[in-house]
Amino acid sequence: MTKSRIVAWLVLALGTQVSALAAAEDMSFDLEETEKAGGEAKVEAEGGAEGEAGAEGGASAEGDLIGDLASEDATQPNAAPDSGPKPTEVSEEIYAVQQVYALRNNRIELMPSFGFSLNDPFVSHNNVGVGLNYWITNVLAVGANMNWYQGLESESELNFHVRRSARLATRPTEFQFGASLNMTYVPVYGKFAMFERYIFQWDAYLMGGIGIMKTRPVPVVDPTYRSFDYTYKLSILNPALGLRVFLTKWLTVFAEMRVYPYLEKLENLRVGLGEEKRANKKAWLDSSSTLVFNVVASVGMTIYFPFTFDYKLPK
Amino acid sequence: MNTASRWLIALGLVLATAGILIDPPHAEAQEVQVTGPLAGAPAVRKMRIYRAGRFQIQPEFGATLVDEFSRTLMIGAQIGYHFTDWLGVHAFFDYGGDLLSLNTDLTDQVESTGQRTDNNALSLPDPAGFDKQIGRINFLTGIQATFIPLRGKLAMFQALFVDTDFYLFAGVAFASVKERADIKDGTCTAATLRRARDMGAGAFDTANRECIATQDQTATRLAIAPTFGVGLSMYFTDYVAMTLEWRAFPFKWNTSGTDEGGMNKGRDPDKNGPFPDEQIDASDRTSQFNQMFKLGFAFYLPYKGKITK
Repeated sequence: MTKSRIVAWLVLALGTQVSALAAAEDMSFDLEETEKAGGEAKVEAEGGAEGEAGAEGGASAEGDLIGDLASEDATQPNAAPDSGPKPTEVSEEIYAVQQVYALRNNRIELMPSFGFSLNDPFVSHNNVGVGLNYWITNVLAVGANMNWYQGLESESELNFHVRRSARLATRPTEFQFGASLNMTYVPVYGKFAMFERYIFQWDAYLMGGIGIMKTRPVPVVDPTYRSFDYTYKLSILNPALGLRVFLTKWLTVFAEMRVYPYLEKLENLRVGLGEEKRANKKAWLDSSSTLVFNVVASVGMTIYFPFTFDYKLPK
Repeated sequence: MNTASRWLIALGLVLATAGILIDPPHAEAQEVQVTGPLAGAPAVRKMRIYRAGRFQIQPEFGATLVDEFSRTLMIGAQIGYHFTDWLGVHAFFDYGGDLLSLNTDLTDQVESTGQRTDNNALSLPDPAGFDKQIGRINFLTGIQATFIPLRGKLAMFQALFVDTDFYLFAGVAFASVKERADIKDGTCTAATLRRARDMGAGAFDTANRECIATQDQTATRLAIAPTFGVGLSMYFTDYVAMTLEWRAFPFKWNTSGTDEGGMNKGRDPDKNGPFPDEQIDASDRTSQFNQMFKLGFAFYLPYKGKITK
């Protein structure tokens, strides 16, 4: 099926190119069209083609120095004799400063994702997440996110091997969910060309915030008596580094690494003698807390609302 | 061929036919003369060709990631040649060794709180000496094809602009690993130790010393593994770039030096039979998704790269 699809796409691409080739011969751009983009043209252009500025922003071509310089030469070929092939000029516009590909200010960003833990060799904390950001400026956003872990986690073989070989009770922790209020800043952005043909806009972002983790220890020392409920813990800073690639002006894919630090009380290694002491819930947890770093790598997509936006300034 | 593919082919053929047969109005009488500033311009002007026809010499520093018992810091170098701006071949060598490896927290925990009985004496002859039996990577070398599909630039804080490319690579790696030596002569087995204990304190001490001595015995082998990864090169000058690279090189090895062959996590005997098999051998190697992160500085020769028109 793949081969046939490739063949189909090749044929479609070839067909498009042949058609485009024929159409391209008929394309004409001249000074009149350039002026028409500014709304001042009196003569209707033959092909009706307009510059991108006209299409997107309705910006005037006036004040475009390079365009003006080019248009000065454009008067010469018009003086060609009427007989024989009629030369047509092309006056293309370029801009000293290009518009940002996708503006984000005053837009809302929805971020569904899938994540997995990087630093816990005993339990793989897989999760699904969703984030919501409001972009105050083009590089600064406020928002919130939530990751759901329960039912997606899995214990590794390592835990089993260590217990068996070293009689060492490693005390894993289960997560139910985590949520955080965030601020996002975009310090780095750029664009990539793929095979000098496709252009991808991308940026790197930093995120931080404050949130909660709902977790519980997994009973391994005395599982006959002990069981734990999920409880809330505070996670602070929650630093993140991410990379976002724009597929369209409203759709991106992203990869992110984030740390959720929080304090966890692990299961007590000591077991009291006798049923009464073993059943004493107050002795089930360590008296002191352990700082846990939940490092999560996530991949997902972002969708911007509204889908379209207007540039404030002309091109 | 499915229906969608047929429709695509049909649409392509229709478009192609239409493009050839339909007479475009005014086309034959026109001669297009592009006189604007973009007349005859290529897609990218004056693009620096950093890689095509150039050698790359790259000293690098790295560290393994997500390690169970031992983290290896590595120093090394990479050399390569690029046939085009998007394809090259590279060879790399990164040295680790005992001096550059660090114990993980899990290793420290086993040393401080691991428990030894007759039943697990083969896996853990002496908890305090556990770091002597864990596996370590001596060096990693290999060859790879490097593919550079993305080329662009990035801006930092809207002030610093650098040319950047994103690359993928895949090849074959050879990892020199030091693991606990094979033990197949019954030393350290529960039966041996119990028998010695029954024979008296002297016999048990001898048997126990022999058991603990196996913890220091290591063997080195060369593991062959696929290697692949991604990287980012940031060009500060025409011939110097900083590279950030993630590399994976999965293969089976015995990272803990313990007896693992036999029963799996589900308490079922695996292909090696019941647990424990009371031997340290190849059946104790487990699949490891080894990975590392590298920081390098690439120098390109000749110093001057080409610039397109």
